[in-house]
Amino acid sequence: MANALRLYLKCIRNTLEAAMCLQNFPCQEVERHNKPEVELKTSPELLLNPVLICRNEAEKCLIETSINSIRISMKVKQADELENILAKKFLRFLSMRAEAFQVLRRKPVQGYDISFLITNYHCEDMHKHKLIDFIVQFMQDIDKEINELKLSVNTRGRLVATEFLKQFV
Amino acid sequence: MAIQRMTWFNRASPALVEILNKLDRSETPTDVDQDIYEHGSVRYHVQASASDPQIVYLSISTPPLSPEASLSPGLPECTMRDIKSTYSDYAEIVEPPRTGFLLTLRLNFAKISHRKEKRVKAIAEISSLLAVIMTSQLKDMLWSLGSKDMDYGTYKPVKLVYHPREPFFVFRLPEKITVIFPMRFKEDSDVVLATSFFQELMDAGCSAACAKAPRCIWSPIPPPELRGEAFQHLATNGGFVSFEILPQHVKGARADKAIWILLNFDAYVKYHVKCTRGFIQRKLRHRMESLAAVLRNARVGKTQDAKKVPSSSCVNKLKTLSKSMALKRKYATLVSNSIKRIHSRIRIKGLDRFRRRWFKIPKFNSLRKYTKLE
Repeated sequence: MANALRLYLKCIRNTLEAAMCLQNFPCQEVERHNKPEVELKTSPELLLNPVLICRNEAEKCLIETSINSIRISMKVKQADELENILAKKFLRFLSMRAEAFQVLRRKPVQGYDISFLITNYHCEDMHKHKLIDFIVQFMQDIDKEINELKLSVNTRGRLVATEFLKQFV
Repeated sequence: MAIQRMTWFNRASPALVEILNKLDRSETPTDVDQDIYEHGSVRYHVQASASDPQIVYLSISTPPLSPEASLSPGLPECTMRDIKSTYSDYAEIVEPPRTGFLLTLRLNFAKISHRKEKRVKAIAEISSLLAVIMTSQLKDMLWSLGSKDMDYGTYKPVKLVYHPREPFFVFRLPEKITVIFPMRFKEDSDVVLATSFFQELMDAGCSAACAKAPRCIWSPIPPPELRGEAFQHLATNGGFVSFEILPQHVKGARADKAIWILLNFDAYVKYHVKCTRGFIQRKLRHRMESLAAVLRNARVGKTQDAKKVPSSSCVNKLKTLSKSMALKRKYATLVSNSIKRIHSRIRIKGLDRFRRRWFKIPKFNSLRKYTKLE
């Protein structure tokens, strides 16, 4: 892994470890309701300062924390049109199947490509360190997958093009 | 791989091959009167009667390749000559053709050799009637139009329509023929995939393996040869792909093949884009599985053991099952089934009906329930 990426991921991991101390907290507006405060944003005293971690202009991660929930939004690198299309396809594919990932938000936060919402219930149901591992691995995998897909699409294209031209020979 | 599945780029029409093979192999002669449509504008008609099963009438109707260049309504003389020479062994042209069709052939299956391979080959040849007509028309048009233009000292591109909504242009110079394809796609993602393919096509053309292939150029703007053409033909989202065909590419028997490849270029690109989309989807599905597995493992009470993770594929389950275990399970199910059979009640036909009728248990109203008073 490149050194810059390792540092970026380490920073995200440390921030998540610090931010992920969630507890059950009933809604202050609606009685007998329990809602993620990071989504509602009705009580400023329950929100922490959001943390923005940027690798560069194209790659950044926003971590918004509240008393009972945490929202992680990511912007994925898209260097050219092909990467842009592949990233869009991949993230759309995942968002459409959000039920397979309990923590994935169906719609990303504006200005970002994908968002996760982790509540205190998720933290009770899952190991905290493994949830953080998942987020970090997701970021790693998405980069790797897009690069691999780009390479495979180009290789396929080259093979098909060569076969096409060989027909004339 | 996509390349191996491209059987529908063959010259022979698959639907026609199927019908003719069925007619050829049928043991009981039947009456056939069938219309087939292809590419939305090509129409075939197959007619055979039970009284004379060896004779089949095949008619074809296709729009002219170039509406501007074709003057007479029927097929040109050179095309008729080509058809006669190709099918002289077992077919003859019927004059006049069936109403609404350009050409009618009378096929005599009795004249085809009785060897299976030869019959299959002959049927494939008959089914490639459209390819013969198209290549012959295009060859004739290129040769004659080129000479006409040269007389006047001007060169104009010829618009050709093979697939209804995808016209392409042919521009002839004394030393080469340039074939220009304006590329249009419905979706933006298709444009990106096709553009990367065109760039690979240009690169592959420069490689040593394809040094003898025609030079391919892709440009997002219209090439200078198309200057003065109508705006609707120049407005594209996929740019323009040009092939420079030199005399060595269309020498002798190569001409037919080269022309057929060029006629199908647009379909070839669209098929590649479609396959690439499918390939991406498969990869994404695979990756999603592995990501979901990480989250499943994160649950409290779950062990790290990967084997315990429920997998969607049955193949993995089979792999983990050893041969002895599989045998044991099979034996156990067999034994349990036979025991079940022994313990099951003996069924007598009609007994159920008898029991329902004579041993009917009367219904009692529950004490807890109350009945509504009228």
